[in-house]
Amino acid sequence: MEYHHTSEMNGVVADYFSMCNESERNGLCREEKHSEDAADSNNLCHIEKAYSTILSELGEDVAREGLLRTPLRAAKAMQFLTKGYKETTQDILNDAIFDENHEEMVIVKDIDLFSLCEHHLVPFYGKAHIAYLPNKKVVGLSKLARIVEIYSRRLQVQERLTKQIASAISEALEPAGVAVVIEAAHMCMVMRGVQKMNASTVTSVMLGRFHDDPEVRKEFLALTMKK
Amino acid sequence: FCNLCNKNIIKTICLKKHSEDAADSNNLCHIEKAYSTILSELGEDVAREGLLRTPLRAAKAMQFLTKGYKETTQDILNDAIFDENHEEMVIVKDIDLFSLCEHHLVPFYGKAHIAYLPNKKVVGLSKLARIVEIYSRRLQVQERLTKQIASAISEALEPAGVAVVIEAAHMCMVMRGVQKMNASTVTSVMLGRFHDDPEVRKEFLALTMKK
Repeated sequence: MEYHHTSEMNGVVADYFSMCNESERNGLCREEKHSEDAADSNNLCHIEKAYSTILSELGEDVAREGLLRTPLRAAKAMQFLTKGYKETTQDILNDAIFDENHEEMVIVKDIDLFSLCEHHLVPFYGKAHIAYLPNKKVVGLSKLARIVEIYSRRLQVQERLTKQIASAISEALEPAGVAVVIEAAHMCMVMRGVQKMNASTVTSVMLGRFHDDPEVRKEFLALTMKK
Repeated sequence: FCNLCNKNIIKTICLKKHSEDAADSNNLCHIEKAYSTILSELGEDVAREGLLRTPLRAAKAMQFLTKGYKETTQDILNDAIFDENHEEMVIVKDIDLFSLCEHHLVPFYGKAHIAYLPNKKVVGLSKLARIVEIYSRRLQVQERLTKQIASAISEALEPAGVAVVIEAAHMCMVMRGVQKMNASTVTSVMLGRFHDDPEVRKEFLALTMKK
């Protein structure tokens, strides 16, 4: 398994070397990306070993067929589920802000959301609803969903997640108002602990006119929340 | 525990429990350290307030989610099998089920529907749900889980037939990988008359599966 893993990495490194032959990308490729990949690979290896320990300490047979590659898969899964740490709003937003003479409410609702509870490392999932009141600047609609992705693919608490999404939109667009509502089920209280199957947690952040004007807030909630 | 140990009669059980507890505690400590490693290797700050006790909580959570390894059907069934002159289908459906995918260590969850045709012996209804708990609180693949539940009921009750259907969502394909939000996996095991007689099977499915 060790050998196979190394040869996979060698293949990836070889691909980067051929891109490095284009001189304008030489600087970026050689130093930064290669050392990032090496660090990632190192992290992955340590996480893999940790999962192997967990499996055997739980009493499982780590040599049985179904579990042979589980430490590696679980490590990669965990890295994917926390990839948001390496992403920033600036990366995804810079090109997709447009001048537009529109000041009415824009809502993107029912954005599927998956995150990890930072207390138990167990998933919570649900939907995010986002609205903003443009102030001469509108954003590509999918970017709102991408902002949700950046902050949700981390170890989170739902309250903080809601606030980070709202703040990111507010800083990027400087709109007249931002509203974010998240409704989610927390597996840490569904599949363990108090074990309530149907409990749902709702958090919201209202900024600008959504905060100051109850009518605006009411309109947003009427258009967004299912009865 | 120490007070109980003074009685000779249960001394042996106590000593075993102490050493079981000590082993459990040892395991927990190792799992906790492993989670601490995982958090720092993911780039998080393990000293920040929200994460301080996370390795311990995650370790305990994982032990709870795999507690089925320490439970057996015999433990829960022995007292609740009753002689009853009933041979018609008994169904317990929509049993909430939570398990861990053994490939990615990520939850899968859904519902189990169980039916059996008694052969002079009926079982306490909640025991069917408890059997689901025993086998689902382990690292699993859904196919094997379905089969283990069916086999356990079959061996315990020797009924004329057993049917188990599980319908579940796998977070490993919803929140990562192929990322299909609404995909659902259905597995079934049919034993005895549920296997041999299409009419019996049809009746079970009609009474159980939502349209």
